[in-house]
Amino acid sequence: MIGIAIHEESCRGCSMCIDVCPTFVFGMDETAGKASVKEAADCVGCLSCAYLCPSGAITHTDYHAVMNFYRDLDFSQRVARFL
Amino acid sequence: MSAKIAINTEWLSVCGGCHVGIVDLHEKILDVLGAAEIRHCPVLTDIKGYPEADVGIITGAIRNEHDRHAAEAMRKACKLVIGLGTCAVYGGLPGAGMVHTREEIFDTVYLHNRTTKTDIIPSDGVSPLEKMVTPLDEVIDVDLYLPGCPPASSFIFDGLLALVEGKTPRTSDESVCGRCRRKMTKTDVDRIKQTYEDLPDPDICFLSQGYICLGSVTLDRCLSPCTRMGVTCTGCAGPTLQVLTEPNRDIRTEVGERMARLTKIEKDTVIRAIERGAKTHYAYAMATKMIGGKPTFLINQWIAETETVGAEGGAA
Repeated sequence: MIGIAIHEESCRGCSMCIDVCPTFVFGMDETAGKASVKEAADCVGCLSCAYLCPSGAITHTDYHAVMNFYRDLDFSQRVARFL
Repeated sequence: MSAKIAINTEWLSVCGGCHVGIVDLHEKILDVLGAAEIRHCPVLTDIKGYPEADVGIITGAIRNEHDRHAAEAMRKACKLVIGLGTCAVYGGLPGAGMVHTREEIFDTVYLHNRTTKTDIIPSDGVSPLEKMVTPLDEVIDVDLYLPGCPPASSFIFDGLLALVEGKTPRTSDESVCGRCRRKMTKTDVDRIKQTYEDLPDPDICFLSQGYICLGSVTLDRCLSPCTRMGVTCTGCAGPTLQVLTEPNRDIRTEVGERMARLTKIEKDTVIRAIERGAKTHYAYAMATKMIGGKPTFLINQWIAETETVGAEGGAA
């Protein structure tokens, strides 16, 4: 099953993840002013939220990664060596 | 612990701030020095050659022949090489020199400088400039990268200590927004503001207020001091990993999309504004092929358009 989590500390409360999610996984915690995962089981792993999140605060696990044919693998491998 | 780990450091085309970043460890540097021995360091040791070492820390880009020689000598002398700082990893601010020829740079700096009177281009005892500015990993193999301008000392400490203790350092893919404390709210702002206009609200995100801030497209290796202090992010630690690795992602399109969702400003308006200020907005990372090599990165065209409009008296 796909896992999805928001790093709460990093959420700025923009609610873009709520706007972009096709399966309505997220909800807004109005008191904290931060987004939260409400329906994790509905996540289809499209990663739209992860790409759009300004903080990079949303992480997925166990999703099917599609390798874009136009991605430069040589460069992509370099980022694995970032401290 | 057994024998101390030997460390060489070297600076190439760089302001020197990354070495200050290392010194910024303050008393924590004692933890590192307890387990490490610094052999070659331009600000600490008086040594001309490159003694053998376990770890080599190189800051700065390759701008002249001396830089290239020093980088190659460091690679031969060190078992593991770390590119420290944005200049070493992406070319950094010296990399912005790639939008001008050597002749233009010499002319502006030495022949027609507006603030000093000089008429000679120095050539005696000065290492000749190379044609291009090159990030470190296009000249030598780099084992680890730590971008930042300079990287916040906590990242340097974490990285160095991990090496000393043989552990995996904590890394994060989060952007500068992750540690910013401003609240991102949707607003009715309908035009882009320059940073000198009005007084920004200290608690609301710059993008929400119409100011172009690169926090959301910049990797957090700084702990977000600028945005916390009321200054928009200029992207000094270089782009986030998704901007670097995904061909369809870019600084201007990502900022444009987010700003359009937060305000009433059109995405294309933001994109055009960033293109007009491309020398500033792409200053830190344009020399790396990861950004400069993108087929959609047309900085020379953007500059030509902007400067033509400016010359005709239009709004730049």
